[in-house]
Amino acid sequence: MALEIERFLHTERLPHIWCPGCGLGIITAAFLRVVIDLGLERDKTVVVSGIGCSSRAANYLDLGTVHSIHGRALAVATGVKMARPDFTVIVFTGDGDGAAIGGNHLIHACRRNIDLTCILFNNSTYGMTGGQTSPTMAVGDRSTTARYGQVEPPFDLCRLAEAAGASFVARGTAAQARLIERLIKEGIQHQGFSFIEAVVPCPTEYGRRNALKSPLEMLDNERTRSVTQAQAVKLTQEELAGKIVTGVLHLDEDAPEFQQAYAASARAQAERAGARVQIDMTQKLPVGEQK
Amino acid sequence: MEQWHSHLLRERVDQSSLLIQGNRACALGALDAGVTFFAGYPITPSSEIMEAMAEELPRIGGVFVQMEDEIASICACIGASLTGKLAMTATSGPGFSLMQEALGYAIIIEAPLVVVNVMRVGPSTGRPTAPSQGDVMQARWGTHGDHPAIVLAASNVADMYRLTMAAVRFAQRFRTPVTVLADQLVGQMRESFSPELVGRYRLTSGDFDFTPGYIRPELAPEVRPPHILGLDEHPHVTGLFHDETGFPTNDPDESNEFLRELYNKVAHHREELCLYDIKNEGKGRVCIVAYGSCARTARAVWRLAEYEGLPVEVLHLYTLFPLPVEIIQQVARRVEFILIPELNLGQYAHEVRKMAEQWTTVIGMGKIDGTLFTPRELLDRIAELTGKYESV
Amino acid sequence: MLGSVAASFRPRFGLLADRDFVEVRLGGSGGQGVVLMGIILATAANHDGRCVVETESYGPEARGGYSRSDVIIAEAPIDYPKLDNADLLVALSQDSAQGYVKSLRRNGVLIYDSEIVKNPPAFAGATIGLPFSLWAKEETGRIQATNVVALGAVARITGVVSIQSIREAVSEAVPAGTTEVNLKALDRGLSVDPAEWETDQR
Repeated sequence: MALEIERFLHTERLPHIWCPGCGLGIITAAFLRVVIDLGLERDKTVVVSGIGCSSRAANYLDLGTVHSIHGRALAVATGVKMARPDFTVIVFTGDGDGAAIGGNHLIHACRRNIDLTCILFNNSTYGMTGGQTSPTMAVGDRSTTARYGQVEPPFDLCRLAEAAGASFVARGTAAQARLIERLIKEGIQHQGFSFIEAVVPCPTEYGRRNALKSPLEMLDNERTRSVTQAQAVKLTQEELAGKIVTGVLHLDEDAPEFQQAYAASARAQAERAGARVQIDMTQKLPVGEQK
Repeated sequence: MEQWHSHLLRERVDQSSLLIQGNRACALGALDAGVTFFAGYPITPSSEIMEAMAEELPRIGGVFVQMEDEIASICACIGASLTGKLAMTATSGPGFSLMQEALGYAIIIEAPLVVVNVMRVGPSTGRPTAPSQGDVMQARWGTHGDHPAIVLAASNVADMYRLTMAAVRFAQRFRTPVTVLADQLVGQMRESFSPELVGRYRLTSGDFDFTPGYIRPELAPEVRPPHILGLDEHPHVTGLFHDETGFPTNDPDESNEFLRELYNKVAHHREELCLYDIKNEGKGRVCIVAYGSCARTARAVWRLAEYEGLPVEVLHLYTLFPLPVEIIQQVARRVEFILIPELNLGQYAHEVRKMAEQWTTVIGMGKIDGTLFTPRELLDRIAELTGKYESV
Repeated sequence: MLGSVAASFRPRFGLLADRDFVEVRLGGSGGQGVVLMGIILATAANHDGRCVVETESYGPEARGGYSRSDVIIAEAPIDYPKLDNADLLVALSQDSAQGYVKSLRRNGVLIYDSEIVKNPPAFAGATIGLPFSLWAKEETGRIQATNVVALGAVARITGVVSIQSIREAVSEAVPAGTTEVNLKALDRGLSVDPAEWETDQR
């Protein structure tokens, strides 16, 4: 399998920028196994990312990849998907990119229920800029901008996504590679907005400031904190504190998908306006004389 | 006439002329040039553009999305542009400010795009229902870093139509975002408009064809051929400095070459990009250089000046950037004064001064009260200038 | 000339019919349909084959507040788009009559709704007060038709637009289903008897 995913990697661009012990590679590999498993077409599969460690994945994937600007991956992806509904569009984002600067786009993408799959890599820190506080950092945790411990409460991103209207919401961790692979697969297959929170360790910027000395220790911590939804309902609020609830947390297969709803409405208008030619603007421009 | 794609215009096309709002004419120009994707966010005084697009695009197989803010709007347009669609958004000052970072992204990834800014008085919320030209330098230098910019300025309803078309053409030919500046007056006024009128105002660029129909020009020389998502390709696109494969580079030589190429693809084609009209050419001691709604006052002055015996030329600029250096320097060599009335505190006058002051005296006239210059105000200034000159 | 390819010549008669360049200001308060009135008048002038510019200005309120529409009609394309001095002021509120009378040329025409403008401002030129809102109520039962009634009277008295064009413009501009009632209102305005207003002239 390891060799097979290399078909979808720009191996000439490796080694990647991620630190040893980083969880991003685990999720990216899980994603590529899904690409192979589902037989996604290379030219019709587009990964849109923002800025940050997780978004750098776009640099290594041998698919259509759009490395956009900080926080705006979902907005760019909305444009791609609306322009080419036949594409499978996946968004790679992080907790800073997707939940802080891009938080508004996240809730509106959820609300529209547009058929995108958003994989949000949550490592509770800004890794690329040097370990600053992120909106998913737990109270009491330390960062370079929370030297005396974080005092703001964190987001529960899955509850946020569900409340905002996402029709598929799931969570997994880097310690559960098979689970995350299944969640990504189900998310891509789902018609509607799929939000997948992947809890990943950042030993370099998060672990060493928060008494989790080794990458293994961090992964282990994620594993022991994980509970399934079935287990979670049996726990009290106190017992649930600090736990990571994993699996498919919300699924609504009947929620209308935005692009399809738009297309149906537009078709009705087009018919009313008389037969109109579907515009195909996707051919290339003629190339003039080159330098 | 069957080529008029927009339903809005087609239903009236039997008439020789119709009364139409500037913002609506802008939408029609976009549709007639083949724009099929619009994402926007409402803002006074530009909202009528998106309203017209919301009405039209679904009927012709295009896409209209109202996004959650202006940042999302321009980003969605960029996404669509990467798939080869012709995309446009429209806004006003506060929204244009929000778009600046993404505008830089569109420039660096060479995504064709049209951004219309119907200017209102700023900064901040300012005066939403009064005209201004306060965003001229923002349109040039709003996003960070050195970058090319193509900026057009509309002065009437016919301009809103045809300069939007020109913007679509330039955006594709040069693979870069093009900004069309209008203002509250031009955007929201209604004016007689006819296909005949579109060609009435002279543009210097000879080969401009405003026949409605999808504009699919050839790429300009020096422009790299694009990689379009889904067209048998799966390119990598990034806002980082990149080499011709699309992948990031930190190499000093490659970085230097990359940015210079990006800059020069516009700078080297001023002749094609600079659209202007000149009245009373070679007959003035004073030349009024004007654009947008101020050019209307300047044109009125051109007619009145003849009557009042004042030696005035009028240079009406449709392209603000790249700077029309050649024509301004030509004028500067022969007139005693260049007078630049603007609805700002002299933003463009500074640019003209830099390139013309070695030959002539450049005088900026700024107005920021939300009203337009009257012809009398300009005539009085001209009389003062020419009179003062005689007494020296 | 723009009009050269327009429909056949449409005759216009009235106080301002012979002016090649006419500036019209319509004033009232929000909700009276002043902006729509401007659009209809401008559309009519466009149908006459003349060049038109229409600009508007209003307060942030959807109802109440001030509302103004300026229409410039000319034989040639219009450069300066703002109203300089008005040849015609149509006032549907006391405030607009009072406030805008200063913008009238001395040889201009002031027309106001005499039911609303109880203290018409002093003006040396033609000053005509007619009960538009009363006529609207009598004719259509709807005070909202006041603007269209006024337009009819404006076309008849001043000739800034032709009768045929104003009829077409009203039909095009009003919401579907209200054409009949609006044309009825227009006809009431158009049927204004010279005897009803000529006596008011100083």
